[in-house]
Amino acid sequence: MGVAELKKAELYYHKSLRDDVARVLQRSGVCHIIEDSHEESAHQADVDERLAACEEQETHIRYLFRTLASRYNDPVPALDRMLGEKPALSLEELAETTQKMDLKELAASVKKTETALNELRLEAAQLKANAGLLSKIADFPHPLAALTEGTRTLTGVLGSLSAAQSQALTKDLRALRADTELFTAARDPKQKEVWVVILCVRTREREVLEICAKNGMSLVEPPSGLTGTVAEESVKIAGRLAACEKKEAELLDVLTKTADEWMPSVQKASDYWGILRGRCETLAASGATEKAVKTSFWVPVDALPILQKQLEPVGPGAALYVSVPAKNDVPPTLLRNNAFVRPTDALTNLYSPPVYGELDPTPFLSPFFFIFFGMCLGDAGYALVIGTILWILFKKYRKIPSSLRNFVSIFSIGAVTTFIYGAISGSFFGDSIDKFFFMAPLRGIKNALFFLDPMGDPMSVLGLSLLMGVVHLMFGLSIAAYSEFRKGSYADAVGDKISWILFVVGLILFGGGAAGFLPSSVYVMGLGMAAVGACLIFWHAGRGHKNIFMKIGAGLYALYGSTSYLGDILSYSRLLALGLGSAVIGSVINLLGAMAAQIPVVGFLLFIIIVVGGHAFGIAVNILGAFVHSMRLQYVEFFSKFYSGGGAVFTPLTLSTRYVRIADGQD
Amino acid sequence: MDVLGLMLGLLGAAFAAGMAGIGSAVGIGIAGESAAGVMSEDPDKFGSCLILQALPGTQGIYGLLIAFIVLNKLGLLGGQPVSISWSQGLLVFAACLPIAIVGWYSAIWQGKTSAASIQMISKKPDAFAKAVILPAMVETYAVLALLTSFITLMVISF
Repeated sequence: MGVAELKKAELYYHKSLRDDVARVLQRSGVCHIIEDSHEESAHQADVDERLAACEEQETHIRYLFRTLASRYNDPVPALDRMLGEKPALSLEELAETTQKMDLKELAASVKKTETALNELRLEAAQLKANAGLLSKIADFPHPLAALTEGTRTLTGVLGSLSAAQSQALTKDLRALRADTELFTAARDPKQKEVWVVILCVRTREREVLEICAKNGMSLVEPPSGLTGTVAEESVKIAGRLAACEKKEAELLDVLTKTADEWMPSVQKASDYWGILRGRCETLAASGATEKAVKTSFWVPVDALPILQKQLEPVGPGAALYVSVPAKNDVPPTLLRNNAFVRPTDALTNLYSPPVYGELDPTPFLSPFFFIFFGMCLGDAGYALVIGTILWILFKKYRKIPSSLRNFVSIFSIGAVTTFIYGAISGSFFGDSIDKFFFMAPLRGIKNALFFLDPMGDPMSVLGLSLLMGVVHLMFGLSIAAYSEFRKGSYADAVGDKISWILFVVGLILFGGGAAGFLPSSVYVMGLGMAAVGACLIFWHAGRGHKNIFMKIGAGLYALYGSTSYLGDILSYSRLLALGLGSAVIGSVINLLGAMAAQIPVVGFLLFIIIVVGGHAFGIAVNILGAFVHSMRLQYVEFFSKFYSGGGAVFTPLTLSTRYVRIADGQD
Repeated sequence: MDVLGLMLGLLGAAFAAGMAGIGSAVGIGIAGESAAGVMSEDPDKFGSCLILQALPGTQGIYGLLIAFIVLNKLGLLGGQPVSISWSQGLLVFAACLPIAIVGWYSAIWQGKTSAASIQMISKKPDAFAKAVILPAMVETYAVLALLTSFITLMVISF
């Protein structure tokens, strides 16, 4: 239990063996590689080159994924893959498949298709724009060449202006007394914009343009290449567009076919090159001389014999030296806990793992987390639903990756505590047992177990919640006191930890006795404990000061810190609030269901929809709340008493894959 | 005068569900804008963004919870509406105010914190647990307000 003991390993080997060594280390999956300080060497240059090669292949792979993923219909659903349902391959098979394919060529051919596709889309967009422009001047009687090319003497202007201004334009052009022809396109009377074409002699073009500008006409550059009449050109454009669309469909088809044919291999290649990069990075982290290479890594003590055995086939050219962590070493942290605690390892790691050699808080937080989770979710029916879903999940998917399996297990254990709390607080899909006649047979069982009523008697449950808080906080303080003792700082243990336990517990007993909840003998005892605690706190805080007034000030200030304990304890009232939340939401859903059931004909159907949908929503919302708030009570209230984290997670070099499972590798 | 008492009580329920609901809607809206921004860059973050976006939603539920308890207490959920004086109605109304006001305001601030947390996980996906805890800190006060409203309602008897 707790933090696994690690040893520092240094592996010296001949340069020629480096690939074998990297392969063994990766396959063992127990080596957290240490970055060695090293100088430039032939080994380094070599490895850098190989890393660059990996990087190049992975660039192709990323490009292929990006381009083909949307065209590829993956036969393995993403959820199945996440749950470990991936094709199993041996490393050799994976290497063989990957070496058969030329990623560079594949990427180039896909790139070619993609470029062609983009060009085609660009052309289609241009054609559509031209078609739109032509539709504006559909009844222009002359060939468009007069406008787009002109002749030696003739040129044209195309543009649009508001209907009001077009009359002024006509007048101005007439006043010019030049050879101009004004064509005004037919328009829908609702449209305010008029399209016009002005044909004029080249010598007077400048004056015409001035008139256009004066009348606020916005000029449009006529698309070059259009020479026939509007009708002729429109037919041509439509033909080209159809051809473009056909070609585009063909190219997309090519992409889809390529995706179907190659994506499985690209996925394998992605895993393969990822594995190779892992090895190269390991070698890059290793120091080297001309002939020898040294790789350093952390390894759990219990994995050492297996690793040594796995290294045997490499031969005498590799030598392993194992040492205990030196004073200035910073080993990573690997949590090792039993099956009940292991799921919550993730919670500790999410906060920050303990520094190597320090106390692992996971076994302490684990039971509280599950109890709090149960109290917050607090419904036996919801627990049954969660339990059933997880049972089906674990039954259907046998190869769920261990990290995910551990995380999901949080909810299996949480479902058990939820069921228990739901049973004793009488909540089964809210108040369904009392509300619906068909649940009547369960009433006997419910009433037999029922002794905690958050709805009817919230003060008792509030008391229970706060009591859980006191226990949790005092437990945290006890752990802190224990670690202070272990470190030999007895004064801190007594003055800063045990003193607070005495003070807080004493005050509660005193208060309970004074209010008549507890016998009066306890009252006196509580007063005594609180007084001793307060004196100890006062003494400890003032210890560092020489001046008597400073001593008193520091002592009083430390006692003022008791407000934070008040806040911490009250924070546990959320256990009542969230449990109440689940119960009331459940009741509201049942009430709506019962109301709907009275509607004739469709009543029953509506009842089913509301009750099933409503409780599904209730489960989702309440799981989120229960999880977040149980976690918060650990991180904010509990950890602040004794734990600060600050370690690094043990991340071994592994055969990590996304799309396939290495059949002969580790998990 | 019994109608006025009932009216005041109902007004309390309406305030609790309405104001806390508005707060949650605004809070979730703020977080949602942030989530949409992050997902436009990285669609894979949908799951974690959704969880963070949902966090300011609890205030609306707390408001509903208090409204439901008031309706139940006033006998409006099946059975005969109770006959209470205007001063008793005012007591119910007062009991609803903590969750109405704190729910409204805390949900908006929780939404802002969620939005910031969503930005955080877009840069540091590993910090998800911390990103979830920060908005949960804000919710504490909505929980305390809920308890105040709830216990006050339990204490009032007529």
